[in-house]
Amino acid sequence: MSSVYVNRPTASPQAAAAWDTRRQLLTNVRGIGGRAYPRVSGILRERSWLFFEILLPFMTTSGFVFVYRALQAPPAYIGFVVLGGAMTAFWLNVMWMMAAQLYWEKDQGNLELYFTAPVSMMSILLGMAVGGMAMSFARAIVVLAIGAIVYGVQFQIEQWALLLAVFALTLAALYGLGMVLASLFLLWGREAWHLTQLTVEPIYFVSGLNFPVGRLGALGALAIGTIPLAVGLDAMRQLAFVNAPGLGGTPSPGIEAGILVVMTVIFIGVARWMLTRLEMLARREGKLTMRWG
Amino acid sequence: MTTPTAARPATPETLPRAFVGPGLDPARARGNGFADTRRAFLTATRLGWLLEANWTDPVLFFIYSIAKPLASVLILVFMVNVISGGGSTGLRAFVVVGSSLWSFVFSGVAGLGWAILDDRERYRMLRYVFVSPSDFVVVILGRGVARVAVGLAGAIISLAVGIAFLGVDFDPGRIDWPVLAVAMVLGLWAVIAIGVLIAAVCIQTRQESWQYPEAVAGALFLVSGAVFPLSVLPPFAQAVGLISPLSWWMEGVRRALLPHAPSAIGGTTSLFHDLTGAVEPSAATVLLALSATGVLVTLAATLAFRRSERRAKDLGLIDRTTGS
Amino acid sequence: MPADTTGAPLAIDARGIRRIYKTKPPVVALDGIDLQVEPGELFGLLGPNGAGKTTLIKILTTLLLPSEGTARIFGFDVVTRTKELRRIMNMVAGGEQSGYGMLTVHEQLWMFSQFYGLGVREGRRRVEELIEAVGLAEQRMQRVSTLSTGERQKMNFARGLLNDPWIFFLDEPTLGLDVSAARSVRDLVRAWQAAVPGRTILLTTHYMAEADELCERLAIVDHGKILAIGTPDELKRRVQRESIFRLELDQLDGGPATLARLPGVTSAVIAANGRQEGDETSQTVAVNLALEGDAALGSVVNALGGIGSRIVSLQKSEPSLEDVFVELVGRGFDEAEANGSPSSGGRDPTDEPPAHAERPPTREPAEVGR
Repeated sequence: MSSVYVNRPTASPQAAAAWDTRRQLLTNVRGIGGRAYPRVSGILRERSWLFFEILLPFMTTSGFVFVYRALQAPPAYIGFVVLGGAMTAFWLNVMWMMAAQLYWEKDQGNLELYFTAPVSMMSILLGMAVGGMAMSFARAIVVLAIGAIVYGVQFQIEQWALLLAVFALTLAALYGLGMVLASLFLLWGREAWHLTQLTVEPIYFVSGLNFPVGRLGALGALAIGTIPLAVGLDAMRQLAFVNAPGLGGTPSPGIEAGILVVMTVIFIGVARWMLTRLEMLARREGKLTMRWG
Repeated sequence: MTTPTAARPATPETLPRAFVGPGLDPARARGNGFADTRRAFLTATRLGWLLEANWTDPVLFFIYSIAKPLASVLILVFMVNVISGGGSTGLRAFVVVGSSLWSFVFSGVAGLGWAILDDRERYRMLRYVFVSPSDFVVVILGRGVARVAVGLAGAIISLAVGIAFLGVDFDPGRIDWPVLAVAMVLGLWAVIAIGVLIAAVCIQTRQESWQYPEAVAGALFLVSGAVFPLSVLPPFAQAVGLISPLSWWMEGVRRALLPHAPSAIGGTTSLFHDLTGAVEPSAATVLLALSATGVLVTLAATLAFRRSERRAKDLGLIDRTTGS
Repeated sequence: MPADTTGAPLAIDARGIRRIYKTKPPVVALDGIDLQVEPGELFGLLGPNGAGKTTLIKILTTLLLPSEGTARIFGFDVVTRTKELRRIMNMVAGGEQSGYGMLTVHEQLWMFSQFYGLGVREGRRRVEELIEAVGLAEQRMQRVSTLSTGERQKMNFARGLLNDPWIFFLDEPTLGLDVSAARSVRDLVRAWQAAVPGRTILLTTHYMAEADELCERLAIVDHGKILAIGTPDELKRRVQRESIFRLELDQLDGGPATLARLPGVTSAVIAANGRQEGDETSQTVAVNLALEGDAALGSVVNALGGIGSRIVSLQKSEPSLEDVFVELVGRGFDEAEANGSPSSGGRDPTDEPPAHAERPPTREPAEVGR
């Protein structure tokens, strides 16, 4: 008889089910790696994304660059658009590769396998995000590099450490928000996919993707307080284009970094709570396995 | 020893009515020509509408249909305002019209590709559609029509909002209706053709290609004179714009709606001026160029789709599902 | 906590489980399920499509909440103790299309090993072992999207064993598989369960033969209710209180009446005359005998010897689970009205007899019957 069928030496199912904190933590960390794996290998095995997810989106960003050129805007505005285009990659990663991904997983029948596994859904989501990050980073780097070379964007950075910290905090807050949204997907199902689509352009608008968010007045202030993309992008613009015209009416980068910290903590805390509560709700409604729901 | 329950043999009296038919008719293999095509198209259109519109209540669906084009318009209007201030009504009108129309372009370009991905990955019906006697491309066209209709509605509403609230100077009495009608028909044709081209690509790609149609639309955005004149672009990019039917379509519709709006294709520094000597194309030139480029794109799309279909059959891509 | 006689908790202890889907109109998928499964059992849920088998499995595997009732797996409540439960159970469904097409079999399984907390190397080793055990060694580097249905199901089965579950839920595991692939899966199920005492399996199926072959005990489910529980033999005995034999004799003087008079014989009816062997047609007499019990067969054989008849062949006819199911499903909601008359074995007298009985319809007085 194959040794693979022989049980591990645990006396009872109760003993087998009693995992200590270290084992739980390790499982969740391994879960991140496990879920990131198919995404990373997918990136390596089919390269069409290089054209469709890097080159073409770069052309979209270029479109907005030329809008400013047509308006004869100050050169700093070209930099704003380029930086916005770079950060779009991470926003889209969060929305489509993370938040909406649970909907696809349900479609494919993988969602129920994740739920019956002893790994946290937050680990699965983080794994999805981490796996997609390679693509996002590649896109961001291409946009920034070509923007600098082709469009002559000149970065003026005085506080590198703060800039990198703000970038990292923006990602953390974005992914926390992504987890919150993912839990809503559990419940809303197909409606959530459409809602994600619905919010893409409006989020770009209120986040000031192509113009300083401070120009939106009260709406911009609201965005800075609630949308990681808005506050992170504004802080990075202030740090990457010091003294550039048009930037104003928003908090300083240090304060905005603080806002991002608070956002991260809140989003991750809320995500944890919501994932648990909404899992129960989805189990009650039968939406975890209902394919068309 | 177990004995299986013996099945009762079917007799004509016991057969379900649906199973009883007139027998095999060789004439069925000939089909009914255009009637079949029309039926397939209408059925696919209805299916596309049901899939597109049944996920929520009408109010949310309405919001969904206009939020994206409206937000796109607002982004561009703000960009103009930020640089040029509130007085630049001409520029504002330019970007409002272009951006509103672009939402229609996007829905047409993405609609067919998403229909392919939907049917292959989500509903897993693509193989059944493929083996049915209906022409595959006709069915895909029908499926995409719903999204095109939603995009058109969104474009019209965005335009209306732009006129009502964003200071677009618009006089309904000055609309050039014949030019508008012809441009819209030809433009729709061109948009659908580009959509077929994208659909051909989506047949070959994997699940994560949901963003590909959007990426293509975004790239075309750069060279179509939608929100800035082509003359701003380097000459090689302008050349690409001049062979894109979308540029001519934008020009035609903008000219029909806003006769005094600046030309996206012309201008003293434009490639068009360098090639023709004219500052701006006339309406006839616009429509002619739209027709010619539309024909080119249609040919390219037809070739690409047929080739993609053949390759898909070769490699068994019609019924594969992918995912990461 | 409810327990079997040894004090250990039951593998499955479900009481009063109801599940109502709030559709228009509401669908009652489960309507008061009580089920107790001992550790180490291979328990089956047999029923047609829509009976509620998958709904019950989803509740037990923590994917769905019951609308009413309680369920515990080894003492862990399926509603509140999901974390612990997920560490000791696993599930595999038939017809699964889940998986990442771009990954190889090895990669797919390794990924799931990580979700179950196995170390990177430990996971690889276990995956290799399982790939060998389920017979996918040649396909280990093949992409999941290129696997045949049977191969994919073997891969799913391997995935289900990654964490060496204490309880294994199999939801129609052979659905859509060909005969050979289905047999492989059933062999794997048996081998895995037999390897270590205490491993519990809950299997749902609508294939009668599969339930009969694999399950130690099973429940027949329909319309969200359990109609009967027992071992396959117990269930079959519900529909057949007599032993049915088909005798082929070289001759039978005095006709079937000779046998019908014997003690313990309920009825004796001529089945057919004649059988062919190669190119010859020899005259034999086939008789369908209904006996009160197997013990009566002895007196029949002796009597035949006394009248000079030679037994050419003897075959016992048993009911199948399909007969049980037809019996129960047709009667499930009529039991209270029919009263279950002993002579009809609880069946509605107007129903056709189960095919296995080969009992003829009511005969002329000249032929012997009951």
